[in-house]
Amino acid sequence: MTIRDEHIFEATKDLYSWALRRVPDDTKAALSRARETETNETARKTLNMMLHSAMAAESADRYVCSDAGVPVYVVRIGTKADWNANIKSAIRAGFEHLVETIDPPLLKHVTNPLTLERGYHGKDMPIITYDLIEDADYIEIVCSPKALGSGRWAAMELFTFPTLETIETYILDVAIKAGSQHCPPTVMGVGIGGTFDYCAKMAKEGTLREIGQPHPEPMVAAMEKRLYDAVNQLGYGPMGTGGDTTVLGVHINYAAGHGFTPVAVEFNCWINRRSIARIHSDGRIERVE
Amino acid sequence: MRNITLPATRADVADLKLGDMVTLSGPIVVTAGIPTHHRIIDCIENGKPTPIELEESAFFHLGSYSRETENGFEILYMNPTTSTRFNDLMPRIIRHFGLRCIGGKGGLDAECARALGEVGGVYLSFLGGGAPIISSAIRRIRQVAWDDLISHYRLVELEVEALGPLTVAIDAQGRSLYQDIDETAAAKRAGILEQLARQRAATQ
Repeated sequence: MTIRDEHIFEATKDLYSWALRRVPDDTKAALSRARETETNETARKTLNMMLHSAMAAESADRYVCSDAGVPVYVVRIGTKADWNANIKSAIRAGFEHLVETIDPPLLKHVTNPLTLERGYHGKDMPIITYDLIEDADYIEIVCSPKALGSGRWAAMELFTFPTLETIETYILDVAIKAGSQHCPPTVMGVGIGGTFDYCAKMAKEGTLREIGQPHPEPMVAAMEKRLYDAVNQLGYGPMGTGGDTTVLGVHINYAAGHGFTPVAVEFNCWINRRSIARIHSDGRIERVE
Repeated sequence: MRNITLPATRADVADLKLGDMVTLSGPIVVTAGIPTHHRIIDCIENGKPTPIELEESAFFHLGSYSRETENGFEILYMNPTTSTRFNDLMPRIIRHFGLRCIGGKGGLDAECARALGEVGGVYLSFLGGGAPIISSAIRRIRQVAWDDLISHYRLVELEVEALGPLTVAIDAQGRSLYQDIDETAAAKRAGILEQLARQRAATQ
């Protein structure tokens, strides 16, 4: 059997809905850990409400947040997968089907940037990016709906031969600028180096990484740890009303580049929306998350 | 936890302290739309009544999905939106109507806090991503106005019971948790950067 349009369609229409109704397990575990160590009483109560909301959404099959964001998919194609499908149009068809059938209906968040007109559809929606996974015999699709609440606080700057001090100061200042605004505690994805577009992509990939998985290189893992401690010392806390828990993780990716070094920072709000399906070469759809 | 019955008087909210958590029961008005705020300001400027009475009301930045059925409108879910998007528009609305309770998520700026201090109103922080909890407080829909707008931009009056818990983030004297926390973070910045430098040096 071969992966065909209908398999991509099936996976896509469910993925978005899953992401809206369930907070990932790593995120719930991180919120629970934070509740144990948090010293601010209001913050502990807020973390408790977050966990309660996550469980309520899951058990009643409801949306965690009213803002479903816009559809964002990352497609990772295994180079050994057996496929013959128009992936892009199948994903679009899957999303169209979801908009028409999802219960309860979604709010209209897709915005034309030139006219500010809002609806369910728009140019280049859903937003899809593609990658290859060497040797894999499946196609993996990640759905990561993105909304204004945390989306608008992402930032990027281009430096020339920056020191680590310059880079870390910038990352801390982006956290200060986001302050109380982005439904903390967040996952902070950071990209360093590469080129303008590649750096932003690395930051995005950082937000998708499982909480508690440090970067494999010790030097980067140490940087993640000290920035995690640094941002949490700022005191914004859950929902920005004070506390020790402002980030659940700082996830850094880097790439070599030229002397100009872009640094990009992106945030996922505390519900950390993310769902993953793997479509095997025999057409079987596996829900990974 | 204290439950406040709406409509609340100035005295009802005067002693609320920053960080207190409360629930609300009674009528509230919600919208998540900037165009809606512009229409409210147009009403103020042209001496027209708003389609839903806002005088001393509880007015929140909440987005809701409302749909028309045979029996009128129903609300399927609601959740807060970022209030700071309305920073430029809120002082006038707060002062004109003497809003008693406002809220959403992310807070409002210093000018809005000043306006709240003048009229004796409070800002309440809702849980973002709290749709299941927040929506369960809805008892009935009183009115839906400006229904030519998309769902979450409409002006909607609801009856709620034990809505919350909500965190008092700007009090009736105009003190703001957001300002306090921003100032504290700014003051800590230099020390945190020194700590980062020490940690970098220790690993190199």
